[in-house]
Amino acid sequence: MTMLQVDNMTKEFGGLRAIDSLDLTIKKGMILGLIGPNGAGKSTAFNCIAGSFAPTRGEITFDGTRITGEKPWNLCKMGLARTFQIVKPFASKSVLYNVTVASFATTGSRKIAEEKAVAVLESLNFGDKKDILSGNLTIADRKRLEIAKALATEPKLLLLDEVMAGLRPNEVDEMVDILKALRDRGITIFVIEHIMRAIMALSDRIVVIQFGKKIAEGLPSEIANNEKVIKAYLGEDYVVA
Amino acid sequence: MNHQHFNKVMIVGLLVAAFALPLVVRSATYMHILVLLLFYAYLTTSWNIVGGFAGVLPLGHAAFVGIGAYTSTILSLQYGVSPWLGMLVGGVLATIAGVIIGLPTLKMRGAYFALATIAFAEGFRVMVENIDYIGPLKLNGPRGLQIPPLETGLTSFMFATKEPYYYIILVMLLAVMLLTYIISRSKLGYYLIAGGEEPEAAMALGVNVARARLIAMAVSSFLTALAGTFYAQFSLYIHPKSIISLDMSFEIAFIALIGGRGSIIGPLLGAMLLRPVSDFCRIYFGDTLPGMHLIIFGLVLIFVMYYQPRGLQEPLSRMYQRLFTRKTLATTGR
Repeated sequence: MTMLQVDNMTKEFGGLRAIDSLDLTIKKGMILGLIGPNGAGKSTAFNCIAGSFAPTRGEITFDGTRITGEKPWNLCKMGLARTFQIVKPFASKSVLYNVTVASFATTGSRKIAEEKAVAVLESLNFGDKKDILSGNLTIADRKRLEIAKALATEPKLLLLDEVMAGLRPNEVDEMVDILKALRDRGITIFVIEHIMRAIMALSDRIVVIQFGKKIAEGLPSEIANNEKVIKAYLGEDYVVA
Repeated sequence: MNHQHFNKVMIVGLLVAAFALPLVVRSATYMHILVLLLFYAYLTTSWNIVGGFAGVLPLGHAAFVGIGAYTSTILSLQYGVSPWLGMLVGGVLATIAGVIIGLPTLKMRGAYFALATIAFAEGFRVMVENIDYIGPLKLNGPRGLQIPPLETGLTSFMFATKEPYYYIILVMLLAVMLLTYIISRSKLGYYLIAGGEEPEAAMALGVNVARARLIAMAVSSFLTALAGTFYAQFSLYIHPKSIISLDMSFEIAFIALIGGRGSIIGPLLGAMLLRPVSDFCRIYFGDTLPGMHLIIFGLVLIFVMYYQPRGLQEPLSRMYQRLFTRKTLATTGR
């Protein structure tokens, strides 16, 4: 079963082609990693899929429905949630308030929304911080809040944009465990990450893009030894030993 | 006595004091000042639904006051419609106007939205100043409309003394404060605040930011127009400069920013601080230094924004909690 299908997606900003004919398939229940050097177009690809802007060309299908150019709030209600690379908490409000905004996606009642938010926070071992102002959180907790908010919308597919950047190694390990647990709960995950150790441990498959084009796709072990990928990261002059 | 119980006692005490105030204040001048204080607190609380919660800064709400005042006055003068009914009609017309302005402008950010609302309100005032008649409806241009005295009473919305006006606007204020409280705890309130702070993040969480703002704008314009009818019946004379002035729009925003935008009590606090300043400036400097109150407002605003960017409600509610409930919220995270 396919959760997300991206066909021939292109995104141009003026003369700049940020995404060039990208094809992607994510099967239900899997974790797909998306990597690439800085500026490769990873976040742009996410933004197109999550509806922040419409792709210039191409088709996106989510769980059997065509969603090309659909608005972000509708996508959220269909079960597609995302986090932002630059975290965006509602800073003047508490952690619980932040997550409650998200859990309102599936209910109109504040009581139910708050109960759901508390449950999500507890599932992420975050319950003890629910009354803290989100603007005062550490970076690791802000990343965790981003995930909590995305989860509270009850997604089928979760797009995670560098949720581990800036975390300490032990925090990275903790996050990897959290994400694996989410996958075991049946949530499909599409993740952008720069920390290779994490993405290798986490992903079922990895897609590599450079200059908006897909240059490789495969199992983590295949990607680690792919000459094109190594050159993309380390430069053309690098000789694979 | 736990703190929730104490809060209830406190609220009831304040309500009793507010209702008993006219028994103590016997001077018509002071009653007049109090009525205007509550009138501005009401206007700012209505403004706050869009200006406070939705995170945009409307600076043209006087236009809705004008729509309310003119609608009920014209209906009453020319067709003998009760001002109470005219009040509702004015509210509906203002809602339509609010939605028409909101549709294209609420997607704009920051200063652009503020400028668009100023432009609309000023444009509306200039039009009313230059129109004597719309079809059969007499607007009387810059000369405005005088409401001749009728038999006083609740049905004619006209009273010989200030006290009834005081009670009417007090009830209106309490109702709109209660509504604000309900909205702030509802899905709409959460959506407005989320969309005001981080629109992009809110959209990704299922919030249709533009729609939430539009609903807030509609509610806010409706409520604002009701105050227009009140003002017309209170002063019995309306003209464009008194009822659709930029002064009024700015004063509302000043009160909200100084009292505390996006809080329930903020607009009332702001009005309690600024309205007396405004009135005494008019009484003592009205001839020599007209506009003095706006200069003082500006200075107070700079001071408040510098030390308490979230308005006076924040230090005051913190003080209240420390003094009376001994329960400091664990909101600092330190």
